Amino acid sequence: MARSLAVQEINTLELIIFCILSIFMLGGSITMITSKQTIFSAFGFLITMLGLAGMFALLDSRFLAIAQIMVSVGAIVVLSMLTILTINSKDENLPKEEHKYKLILLSLIITLPFAILLYKTLSTLPHYFATTKAINAKIVGELLFSKWILPFEIISILLLVAMLGAIVIARGKIFKKEVHK
Amino acid sequence: MSPNPFFLLSVLLFSIGLIGIVSRKNLFIAYMSVELMLSSVNLILATLSKVLGDANGSVMALLLIAVIASEAAIFLAMIIHLYKYYKTLDSDKLDDLKERS
Amino acid sequence: MLNFIVILPFISAFLIALVYLKDTKTKRHIFYTSLGVGTPFLITILSFLTAFDFLNSPQTIHNTLFEWVHIGDFNIDISFMADRLSIVMISFISFIATLIHIYAAGYMRDEEGYGKFFAYFNLFIGSMLLLVLADNPIMMFIGWELVGLSSYLLIGFYHHDADNIKAANKAFILNRVGDFGFIIAISVLFISLQGHGFTFGDIKANIGLINHSTLTIIGILLFVGAMGKSAQIPLYVWLPDAMAGPTPVSALIHAATMVTAGVYMVARYSFLYIEIPNVGLFIASIGSASALFAAIIASYQSDIKKILAYSTMSQLGYMFIAVGLGAYSSGIFHVFTHAFFKALLFMGAGAVIIALHHEQNVFKMGGLKKRLKLVYITMFTATLAISGIPPFAGFFSKDAILVTAFASGHYIIWASATFTAGLTAFYMFRLIFSVFHSKEKETHELHSLDKRMTYPLVVLAFGSATAGFLGVNSAYGGNDLIVKFLNLPDIEYHIAHSTEYILGAINVILGFLGMALAYKLFAHSAVEARPDTPLKALVINKFYVDEFYEFIIVKPLLKMSEFIAKTFDPKVFDGVINSSVFIYINAAKLFAKLQNGKVRYYAFYILVGASLMSCYLIYKLGVIA
Repeated sequence: MARSLAVQEINTLELIIFCILSIFMLGGSITMITSKQTIFSAFGFLITMLGLAGMFALLDSRFLAIAQIMVSVGAIVVLSMLTILTINSKDENLPKEEHKYKLILLSLIITLPFAILLYKTLSTLPHYFATTKAINAKIVGELLFSKWILPFEIISILLLVAMLGAIVIARGKIFKKEVHK
Repeated sequence: MSPNPFFLLSVLLFSIGLIGIVSRKNLFIAYMSVELMLSSVNLILATLSKVLGDANGSVMALLLIAVIASEAAIFLAMIIHLYKYYKTLDSDKLDDLKERS
Repeated sequence: MLNFIVILPFISAFLIALVYLKDTKTKRHIFYTSLGVGTPFLITILSFLTAFDFLNSPQTIHNTLFEWVHIGDFNIDISFMADRLSIVMISFISFIATLIHIYAAGYMRDEEGYGKFFAYFNLFIGSMLLLVLADNPIMMFIGWELVGLSSYLLIGFYHHDADNIKAANKAFILNRVGDFGFIIAISVLFISLQGHGFTFGDIKANIGLINHSTLTIIGILLFVGAMGKSAQIPLYVWLPDAMAGPTPVSALIHAATMVTAGVYMVARYSFLYIEIPNVGLFIASIGSASALFAAIIASYQSDIKKILAYSTMSQLGYMFIAVGLGAYSSGIFHVFTHAFFKALLFMGAGAVIIALHHEQNVFKMGGLKKRLKLVYITMFTATLAISGIPPFAGFFSKDAILVTAFASGHYIIWASATFTAGLTAFYMFRLIFSVFHSKEKETHELHSLDKRMTYPLVVLAFGSATAGFLGVNSAYGGNDLIVKFLNLPDIEYHIAHSTEYILGAINVILGFLGMALAYKLFAHSAVEARPDTPLKALVINKFYVDEFYEFIIVKPLLKMSEFIAKTFDPKVFDGVINSSVFIYINAAKLFAKLQNGKVRYYAFYILVGASLMSCYLIYKLGVIA
């Protein structure tokens, strides 16, 4: 009984936290796709990732939340901001998008059936949370190095390859072709 | 609290990412929308991990984050290269493979 | 035996053609001549042998080569039949053909296509024998077509001149028009026999099965074929133009043999035509009209070969009068005698033409009486024969026809035919006197004539003089040999001997009158007829029949062809196809625009596809938010 009350209580708090976080995330993502300046979109992205980390924490995946902040925010978002600022294109060099909002509306309408279908499919899953311990580093570590050792190794190779590839691509020579437009 | 709101949020994020890809010409926005779509999948994995009481989903999400990171590296390197090459951030100007009549 | 008679010329033609095609330039005259002339000679011997067989034991010989078509009721064998009629025909056909082949060996000796000529000539002989010896209508039709083909090939022999090709085409096309009627007639005959067999013997036995109106149709349509082949009105216009071919061709094909195929056909179908005397009257009327028409035109022609061509048409008219009125034996008898003197006339004309270095206008010749003595004597004999002067051959055969016409009560036909006889004498002697008697126009050295060209003339002259005696009828003390031998279902007309004598006398008097008139006008100074009066202009221009056909038939057809070729075909057919192609190309271009190279658009297409599928799934799964 106490547990269910506690669950009840946690539910309300959870709900509030969930709402706040979701507002952040949705706001951030919408900013991301609608703003004209690239750096503002990057900020929106940052907010979204942070919100996502919060979501992970809400879902009792603590290690995942921290990993999300470390990697996704700390590396990816920072890296993208770095790239954006390196390129540093002036306003007039940015692509001209005059029909931006119209396109967004059109895509929204077209994406709607797809989204509805997805949600309806997903909602057929069992709709109650199982009560378990929070998933902390120990449990994740145990699983990662026993059952998931192979994907782990492969992903490490993938990261190596990505690193090398990024270096090669970014450094690469420009071929002696005429650059058009 | 049921997982349905989480699913709903995830679906919304995915749709927003999809819309971003289709409507914007800026390469960075395209990149970030792709990241967003992948992250929404991450959210579903985490939710499922809690629904099933299993840590496997969490581990999968972790590994997916690593993939996202590597993909980010490549994507940004490519954007830099393309900018150096074509001097533009407009994905509509990169149409060499079009039908020439 | 009959197999050989028909097959040998084809084999020889094939061999000559093979050797000729191997190398068209080498002159292998000895080979070509020996094979080309030897074959008809061999055929003649074989025919005479078969004829002797017949004299002893009269019957019908059948010889089957092989079975050809067996489809249900439709059984056609390649088989040959020789009865009295066929034997008479092949005897004189092969004999005259041999003589003309010998003549041709001399006439064509300098020509380039010597081998080709003999190949075609032998092909013709084979086809004619096939026609005559056929056992069933289909075989006869095959021979009919093949002689038409050989005629086309031989008329267009000097193919470097486009006019000759046109003449050949004209002959073939008009023949074709006639053959159309012929084919329909055979088909109707076959259908109405309802499967009782299709050889001549079977048809003869079952002729009672067919009702009268169908028989009339068959008879008329068969005669349409004969109109084309034997140059009667209205399908005669090819015969004068066919004189563009070499003279031996004119002699053999367009005088003695091919053009008589129509008469032979009517005689062969005598068992059919005696059932329908109305059609016979029609045939006789066409014949008499053609005879008169041709005689009038011939009286004003200047080209020696064209005069003879119209003369042939006229004499063919006589033959059709005979077979039309039911006197089949008389018709065949006239075919027989006509072959002799007409072939002789053509060959003589050829000799004159060669001697005068290819001059064909009668009024540019003259005074050749002494210089071409042999030709003159033989041609004079033939002219006497054709004019019906006794005791030469033409008198007996023509007289028989005129007596039939008078005795059957068709006095108009008799009157026009008798008048035509006078005209015949007139224009033939006009030819003789202009060429041989009148003032000399050409004093150049004559081209020497090959011996091979002159000896056949002698033989034929002898034939023209004496062949008539084979058919002298009882009034003149003869035994009606030919009539008795042929054994055809003639209609018997009884007429007093005195009437016959009177009629015969009328013919002779008219003949002499014609000769005298020609003598008076042409013997001393022959002048070409000029179109002074409108009537004369009409006749000299052959009554403008060619121009009429051109206007009524040829020009509209050409216009229609031009319309179809230039307007209808490109616009309608090509237009439809072009517009459908145009639609496809434009649709393709439209779709090609989808591939514009922009990844964003491709992602959009994927999105649209996924969205549509999810719409459908939502509809199917019945989920609405």
